[in-house]
Amino acid sequence: MRFERIGREPDYSRYMDLKEGWLDRRIFSDADIYEEELYRIFARSWLFVAHESQIPSSGDFLTTHMGEDAVIVARQPDGSIRVMLNSCPHRGNKVCFADAGNTRRFVCNYHGWAFDTAGDLKGMHEEYCYDAGDIDFKNHGLKNVAKVGNYKGLVFATFNSDAPSLEAWLGDFRWYLDMILDNEEGGTEFIGGCIKSVISANWKFGVENFIGDAYHAGWTHDSGTRSMNNGQPFPPIDMDNSYHASVNGHGWEFGTEGVGDLFLLGRPKVMDYYNKIRPKMEERLGEMRSKIFGSVASASIFPNVSFLPGISTFRQWQPKGPMQFELKTWVIVNKNMPDDIKEEVTKGVMQTFGPGGTFEMDDGENWENCTTVNRGVVTRHERLHYRCGIGRQIEHDTLPGIVYRGQYNDANQRGFYQRWLDMMTHDEFGKMPARPEPQLGNVAETRDLPGLFAL
Amino acid sequence: MLDRPLAPPPVEVIVAVTQALHREARLLDNEDFEGWLAMLGKDVSYRLELKSRRFRADRSPPLPFGPGVIFNEDLGRLKMRVDRLKSGFVWAEDPPNYIRRAVSNVEVLATQPDNEVRVHSVLVMHRNRIDGTTRLLTAGRTDLWRSEGGAWLLTAREIVLDHSVLPDSNLNAFF
Repeated sequence: MRFERIGREPDYSRYMDLKEGWLDRRIFSDADIYEEELYRIFARSWLFVAHESQIPSSGDFLTTHMGEDAVIVARQPDGSIRVMLNSCPHRGNKVCFADAGNTRRFVCNYHGWAFDTAGDLKGMHEEYCYDAGDIDFKNHGLKNVAKVGNYKGLVFATFNSDAPSLEAWLGDFRWYLDMILDNEEGGTEFIGGCIKSVISANWKFGVENFIGDAYHAGWTHDSGTRSMNNGQPFPPIDMDNSYHASVNGHGWEFGTEGVGDLFLLGRPKVMDYYNKIRPKMEERLGEMRSKIFGSVASASIFPNVSFLPGISTFRQWQPKGPMQFELKTWVIVNKNMPDDIKEEVTKGVMQTFGPGGTFEMDDGENWENCTTVNRGVVTRHERLHYRCGIGRQIEHDTLPGIVYRGQYNDANQRGFYQRWLDMMTHDEFGKMPARPEPQLGNVAETRDLPGLFAL
Repeated sequence: MLDRPLAPPPVEVIVAVTQALHREARLLDNEDFEGWLAMLGKDVSYRLELKSRRFRADRSPPLPFGPGVIFNEDLGRLKMRVDRLKSGFVWAEDPPNYIRRAVSNVEVLATQPDNEVRVHSVLVMHRNRIDGTTRLLTAGRTDLWRSEGGAWLLTAREIVLDHSVLPDSNLNAFF
């Protein structure tokens, strides 16, 4: 299924040269480019919509967005999950205004059209006004998405019936995702609610910050780090033993020291907990991943989900126009953690990366002003520098993906914008280049793989 | 909760506590954070809990770990926030943001023990940020204030923010 705008075939490759390492600022501010992103990226990608733990029982639902399309995510009586447009097929009104809850029906406020949790039309107010042949109930339900998938608890959906499987979409990045989703028996869950805030910035600035920008932390978050660390600044990064890894626009930047993010969470009990389970984690995920987990690290899943493994904030950057996004954040924990550790994680996340957190408070203003300066027509035609570490690509015997040495790097950002360009340029998924060629393509379960040398 | 209604506090208590709320707002507007910390009890709890929009008829159980909080602070944590603000490394506050707080709808209610009062108030916060953007936030507050050594000290504050989506990129301000 394709959703095409008519009469537009601009050459997006002129907005960047990633071999040289620059981007044109118009991709962060231009209204036409933003519209095209909605068609070519958000209407075609697999998008995160929920963690399965948010809707455990039949009739549980939540509302969210896929791009700017409002959707309902609902648990069915058979345990499956459906995702459907939150818009009545009669006049288009939104049918559900609650953030989340449990229900048997969604009823439109306008004319009382009623849908079950699968989206099927079940009836309406004054049904007698429709004569035989006026309406086919079967074809007037809430439009369901083309595909729904679940990777170890994370539920994704896509409007694109031609999309590859979710496993193929995540590809070799699953090896990295297992570090947060599968580091302990029992998997993960979201706890607490969802915090939403509006930021006047382009959505890509949030994604690229988490995909690779360890570099900003020591300066932007200097005040937060010092207040958590007895007045001491962010320690220097070990450039030899830290990395960027990029897979089809997804990316993870990480150290291998094992404690950095856990320290920044500021809850010693959580650090103790992970140190206790680390030997088991090593058995489960192999030595390399057990060393990466808990290190200074951040990651994004293309196109608009990010998280901090170890700090446990999980977030989505929802586009709301070229110069605005809505940030949704949750807390992700291991299901089998004792309750007091879950509470400690929640406290730590809010104190660091909630909207009132000692780190989070520094970021928004930067992204806003990176975006809004481009209202100036001369400014917006200037190039931005993305060349940091451009010569540091390596072949690594353990780490999958396109790997660069040194955590302070623009490599994952370049990988993200390369995928952005691929999606903006190619009509067919099959013709889009794999970056890199999948190395774990035929592997069904990546948890048991210590690394590439094991293949 | 209390079994029986208590007699309203004396007028001088109502005046003193209301004045304390106004003074608190002025100290914070002027970034006199040390002055503000001196108005807090040693055992202060300072909380802002999240809300989520639910249908009125929704009967689903509350979340096992609560709805989540933006602030859940004690005196040590509040001091840490103040230290951060005073560190000289908070780039987003330099030059300073302008914040003005208006306190209204003040109700001072008697409670037990009788050197404490429960106080409802409404806070309207106007923020003008370094890049010129302006945000208006409103919140309801329920406090406990305790009379101690001739002064009224804040010992508990529950903040209810009237926004299901925060209309700002951070909450780098005390309510």
